[in-house]
Amino acid sequence: MTNDKKLKLGLFDFTDCEGCQVELVGLKEKLLALSERVDIVNWRLGQAKAQWEQFDIALIEGTPLTPGEIDLLKIIREKSRLLVGLGTCATLGGIPAILDKEERQQWYNKIYGPEYEGRGVDALPLSAYVKIDFLIHGCPISGNEAARIFSDLINGKKLNYKDYSVCFECKLANLPCRLLEKKPCLGPIAQGACGAICLKGGSACYGCFGIKEGANVGALLTILNKFASEEEIENYFSMFHNKSKLYDHR
Amino acid sequence: MTVVLEKSNIPKLTEALSRQYLVVDYEKDKTALSVKGYFLAPREKLFSFFSKTKKLSVRSSPKRKLLLFGLDLADIEALGQLDEIMTKPREDYFYLRKRRNSLIVGVVEHSITMPVATGDLILEKINPSQYRAVSLTKAGQEIVKNKFFKKEKNPEILIYPEEKSNLRELAQDSELLAEAVSWARVKNHPIWEKLEKICLGCGICAYVCPICHCFSMEDEIEIDGSASHRCRYWDACVLNNFSRVAGGKNFRPALKNRYFNWFYHKFVRAYKEYDNSQCVGCGRCQKYCPAEIDIEKVLSEIIRDYEKSLSAPTG
Repeated sequence: MTNDKKLKLGLFDFTDCEGCQVELVGLKEKLLALSERVDIVNWRLGQAKAQWEQFDIALIEGTPLTPGEIDLLKIIREKSRLLVGLGTCATLGGIPAILDKEERQQWYNKIYGPEYEGRGVDALPLSAYVKIDFLIHGCPISGNEAARIFSDLINGKKLNYKDYSVCFECKLANLPCRLLEKKPCLGPIAQGACGAICLKGGSACYGCFGIKEGANVGALLTILNKFASEEEIENYFSMFHNKSKLYDHR
Repeated sequence: MTVVLEKSNIPKLTEALSRQYLVVDYEKDKTALSVKGYFLAPREKLFSFFSKTKKLSVRSSPKRKLLLFGLDLADIEALGQLDEIMTKPREDYFYLRKRRNSLIVGVVEHSITMPVATGDLILEKINPSQYRAVSLTKAGQEIVKNKFFKKEKNPEILIYPEEKSNLRELAQDSELLAEAVSWARVKNHPIWEKLEKICLGCGICAYVCPICHCFSMEDEIEIDGSASHRCRYWDACVLNNFSRVAGGKNFRPALKNRYFNWFYHKFVRAYKEYDNSQCVGCGRCQKYCPAEIDIEKVLSEIIRDYEKSLSAPTG
């Protein structure tokens, strides 16, 4: 492949912790291999080169929290053939979306005083503003799963998700089922491919990879209602899904 | 003469065998998974294609044979069924080459009443301190030559009845199951709608089943373009995309139909194709379903209603 035929890739970030970009950097040799095959024309965190021409692929980490960021997102959309959300803040609203307007005002008062006029808007998934072509979920993303998706992308494969929930990798890891132990978990309805990393670390699954297509959310709620309080269930679903459309399934 | 093994010598035996084989001491109560994954791996690269050499390559088999030690009768029976499925009508090369590079040693904690058709060596409990060794293959006979096995003229032989399992009993009557499940489909039995409401569609029932063997294929391409790999991984019929075909059409978009398919394959199609229900009543799906769906209760309900329908006056 000659140089000028390489796909032009831009990587942008809005409000978030930048942890997903750290995962990308953690790909090491795989990232180098990727950089050989695509032309990374803009990546604030990774390089000095920052071109603003057309992008074949724009990866967006984080989600806009100011009107300026929303405008920038729309500009990037116009310049990009494919727009891909990177990480749960971008794909579902994620952690920044836990906070909503009223709460934010309270914190403004407490931190900056009553005079302060905030410019922040509620965090929403990128899809609330522009058309998104694919979502690479995760808080943070799984480096390996992202590498698989990049590989499929540059090799011309149709992008898809693994057709399994978090339970697949949880069972392979021989972990006891939290639901059977009467502890809340979103594993059965959550999109898999994260390697069940939270469960391996002793935590529940909060569904940061998104709700799996066709998931039976109602069935899970019936189970959770047997041993968890409304508030507890709310906490599980609002961790990453506070503003995602899927939250309405409840 | 009876070949016996002292119970106390079992650890020494497995240790001795591990000099020759890759020994896996399978303890059913320590994992949700059956042994099928040793032969039909949850995810595996079947073969690879390299861009530089333009050649395909299949991974070589490990030199040491795998020896699975400690399977109970239900699991041995399940493996026998899986062997048949993977052999007929077409041989599954990747399964069989692993299977042929393995030995199975069963440890049965009750008296055996039916002949065992799968495995290399069966150790059957005959009294509190001894097992009777029955070798089924040449490889099994080789193991029995080990110094820990002794020939005894009249060892004490006690009767240990198999622990009663309703599900295991249910699973034996494959003809009735095939008829009843078929009937429940034709009659659109309300149980499918009831199950659709509680099933999470997570696939655990198929993952933990020792016989469920549906898989999907996918090509993985190295990010540097140097190679691509044909991979296969466990699929499960309750998963959303199980029945999605090229072009995007999904033949079973409703969970109800997908869940029914699990029953239909196990109890109807399997009976037609292999004369068996693809269930040995091991109880794993019962134990590990996060929605606590109990296959035994589901089957009992279907059979009860089917039998009622048979005795009901027609017209």
